[in-house]
Amino acid sequence: MHRDEIPPGTLYLLILKTLARSGELHGYEIANSIQRISDDVLQVEEGSLYPALQRMLIKGWVTAKWGTTAGNRRARYYQLTAAGRKQLAVEMSQFERVIGAITRVIEAV
Amino acid sequence: MYWLREIARRLRMLVHRRQFDADLEEEMQLHLELRQQEHIESGMTADSARAAARRRFGNVTALREKSHMAWGWEWFESLLYDTRYALRRLRKSPSFTITVVLTLALGIGATTSIFTLFYEVLLKSLTVANPGELYRLGKEARCCYWGGYSQENEYSLVSYDLYKRFRGHTQGFAELAAFQASDPLFGVQRSGGTESAQSYPGEFVSGNYFAMFGISAYAGRLLTSTDDQPGAPAVAVMSYRLWQQYGSDPSIVGSVFHIDNTPFIIVGVTPPSFFGDTLRSDPPDFFLPLNSETLMPQADAGDLNQADQYWLDLIGRIRPGTESAAIEAQMRVELKQWLLSHQSEMSANDRAKLPEQTLFLRPGGSGITSMRAEYEHWLQILMMVSAFVLLIVCANVANLMFVRGMQRRRETSLSVALGAHTSRLVRQALTESILLSLAGGVTGLLVAFAGTHLILFFAFPSARGVAGLPIHASPSMPVLLFAFFVSLVAAVAFGVAPAWMTTRVDPIEALRGMSRSTARAGALPRKMMVVFQAALSLVLLAASGLLTTAVHRLENQRFGFLQEQRTIVRIDPGLVDYQPNQFTILYDRIRASLSTIPGVAAAAICQYSPLSGNNWASSVWLDGRPAPGPDAGKVENMVYWDRVTPGYFSAIGTQIIVGRGISEEDTATSQHVAVINEAFAKKYFNNENSIGQYFGRPELGSSRNYKIVGVVQNARYLDFDFDKPIVPFFFLAEAQHDVVAKTGADSNPGSHHLHDIILVVRPGATVSAAEIRQAIISVDPRLPIESIGTLGEQVSNQFRQQRLIAKLSSFFGMLSLVLASIGLYGVTSYNVGQRTAEIGVCLALGATPAQVAALVARRGFALVAVGLAVGFPLALAVGKFLGSQLYGLSPYDPATTFLAIVTLSFSTLVAALIPALRASRISPSEALRAE
Repeated sequence: MHRDEIPPGTLYLLILKTLARSGELHGYEIANSIQRISDDVLQVEEGSLYPALQRMLIKGWVTAKWGTTAGNRRARYYQLTAAGRKQLAVEMSQFERVIGAITRVIEAV
Repeated sequence: MYWLREIARRLRMLVHRRQFDADLEEEMQLHLELRQQEHIESGMTADSARAAARRRFGNVTALREKSHMAWGWEWFESLLYDTRYALRRLRKSPSFTITVVLTLALGIGATTSIFTLFYEVLLKSLTVANPGELYRLGKEARCCYWGGYSQENEYSLVSYDLYKRFRGHTQGFAELAAFQASDPLFGVQRSGGTESAQSYPGEFVSGNYFAMFGISAYAGRLLTSTDDQPGAPAVAVMSYRLWQQYGSDPSIVGSVFHIDNTPFIIVGVTPPSFFGDTLRSDPPDFFLPLNSETLMPQADAGDLNQADQYWLDLIGRIRPGTESAAIEAQMRVELKQWLLSHQSEMSANDRAKLPEQTLFLRPGGSGITSMRAEYEHWLQILMMVSAFVLLIVCANVANLMFVRGMQRRRETSLSVALGAHTSRLVRQALTESILLSLAGGVTGLLVAFAGTHLILFFAFPSARGVAGLPIHASPSMPVLLFAFFVSLVAAVAFGVAPAWMTTRVDPIEALRGMSRSTARAGALPRKMMVVFQAALSLVLLAASGLLTTAVHRLENQRFGFLQEQRTIVRIDPGLVDYQPNQFTILYDRIRASLSTIPGVAAAAICQYSPLSGNNWASSVWLDGRPAPGPDAGKVENMVYWDRVTPGYFSAIGTQIIVGRGISEEDTATSQHVAVINEAFAKKYFNNENSIGQYFGRPELGSSRNYKIVGVVQNARYLDFDFDKPIVPFFFLAEAQHDVVAKTGADSNPGSHHLHDIILVVRPGATVSAAEIRQAIISVDPRLPIESIGTLGEQVSNQFRQQRLIAKLSSFFGMLSLVLASIGLYGVTSYNVGQRTAEIGVCLALGATPAQVAALVARRGFALVAVGLAVGFPLALAVGKFLGSQLYGLSPYDPATTFLAIVTLSFSTLVAALIPALRASRISPSEALRAE
């Protein structure tokens, strides 16, 4: 099965959106969620989630707290903040603008 | 606020970074395990499941670093590591570390303690509200009285009348205050107190003085404009320091003090930080309203209501937004108008000079700057000297660092071979330098604190009054910043070279035996350091030699009076309400009473004794010559004078050359006489028969006030212009009162308040202070005795500052000499160590030990010779800069310069010879085996 790399710069958007949809998730769940919803098309180099999550913590878009998984393991759960929600809106509109532009370019006759 | 929270988050990460790393590790581990679990469930073996999980995850270590670095602290962490590493290395060589830190402490400490003085005296503002809004009148401080309707160069002093004019008409000033330019001592006695009157410094100030400075009372209240009205109750404000002396007694406020025998109610105490309008060594303890000047005894009174008596300084606070230039222009117009309104009272001279009268405003935030003017040059000299010492210290430490760098070459090249970044190595070397320098800086602050205390103690051993010096030895913020800055500069100065050396290391050297290396890296810079040190030392030695010689010459000049066996008793008869005709009897009785003390050979009294710091001056009008012209008021045409009792010249030990001195035959009713000095005779009579001639003083309106009865040898009375010849001087009889021709009034009643009693003590005898006091009390117990001391002390006190500066620069000179010698010793012995094998070969081939020693020493000495060649012109330039501090000694004094060269050559020769002799004793066989 072929998997596509995610387009550069959209990792934040994917994480933000995933968290917005599902509430609290730990890293593994975020990776799985992105992959599942994209029907296995979008493949995150799973490790790169973590530096991205750190940067989002610095920016204050997400907060993290330790909890327990269904399998009774300690895991760090990430949750969107108000600033994160705002950022999601920003990233969404940016993404749509870019995609719209690309679409117009490739569909132009 | 958003970025602030981000910084807070980053900081939290920094503090908890261990926990943080552990969390990240755990989180990633969980991820890998869950993924592995998933693969196992889908049927993989454990091993391949783990491998697949890792593949999907990516490079764990790299990702961990990336996550860590996202927080932006890697620079800090590497700094932390470098610091820890440097500390470990420094701990491993304690003797090196201690040597460097102590050397730096000396250099930084010396510079900082001089800077403390420099800052406190030259840079600091008065401790008042918004000192930037204050402006003062006058480009230069003028002391302390001026008369007539013109002032030389600029109007910098004002009369009360002129002050009122400025205050009333200058809208640009929010407040304009005036205060006394001189710094008088008042005789002060607490009402109902039992102790005798004591003298304290004080001054008359305008009612808005404190309001202008924007300060409020510590206790009670300060003066207001209502206190400064004619007929207002006499009130005064006391300094916090004096109040403390009275045990901070709250009942002081509201109590009565007799100030110059005039009762004043103390209404308040100034705040502790307030030292008055002028930085001086004896800040005022009493502040009296200007108008109370008319209440004082005759000696002080009379200035207030005379429009042409200038005795006040001005400082004003300008309204925010007002231009000082505009105010200055307006005040010039006001001055002209004021002068024009007084045209009828002006002399012809003043009228002629009217068009050129002008004034200047200058920033006044640091007050009136007499002390500044006095100390500026010598502080600059000391600052320069200490900067030189610091440079030498840096050169020396740089040398030590070089040697250390050379010894570490192998280690460094190994690091480079293993892939260390050059930038990181340089950073490590610099970190070490900065650590050393900061340690030196901290130690240096202690040195500076002690040093400043010591200097202040020697410079101002006995300030008048209790106010104490407004100079603090303890480091203030600017001083701390200065020390920190100097440390950093020093670190860079001595740290850059060794750091640079590390970048020039070839990794291949790690593989070779270091001792086989042919590289001589750093040899040139090290030699340059020695040259540099030798040159600077020469400069310092020459400068300190010049200053010391100058002071020696000052102290051993021909003073024209005798210091041995002379005691000076200072009294203030002006504080007792004697009638003018009672003084002569009083002085006769004092002299008679003192003469009865066993051991006292003679006693005479004069207005001011030599070098006591006070003198009266006037211009003279010689009989039979034209009246003095407009130039009479110029300083160079002033003649100084003194009033003395009979027996004065023999008591002070000044020889009478022709004629006679002042004697008992000069009474109130006899012909008024004067005794002149040689300079007077030379200037006005060309050394020819002056005896029997008459002269007068223009202000008395006569050319025949005095008949000259004697000429005495020149004697130093003035405590300034030591580099100039002694000026014309005349002496008048105490018993004879000068009379103004027009009015018939006594022109100078104050000149009959003789201050200094000269006691001649018989050789071998001692006279106690108690005996002297008793003798004076037996004449009049009310008469205040200000001090008792020897004339020798009075003279040597004059040169205290000069001596101090000479001593300090000598100390710095010796320090630099020692440092330069150590530097040369270090370089030479390092070279010997490097060339052991070569020397061994020479010796084996038949060179004599003497030849080897000469070879080594010659090299070292060649460096010093270059240093001398560089330093010589520098030393001459510095001598020129010292200029006025040398009191007439030529800056090109060959003997002093020669001595400096010999001293430097000798000590460096010793420094080079020690390793040279060691080299000559190398055993050839051992040297060849040494590798």
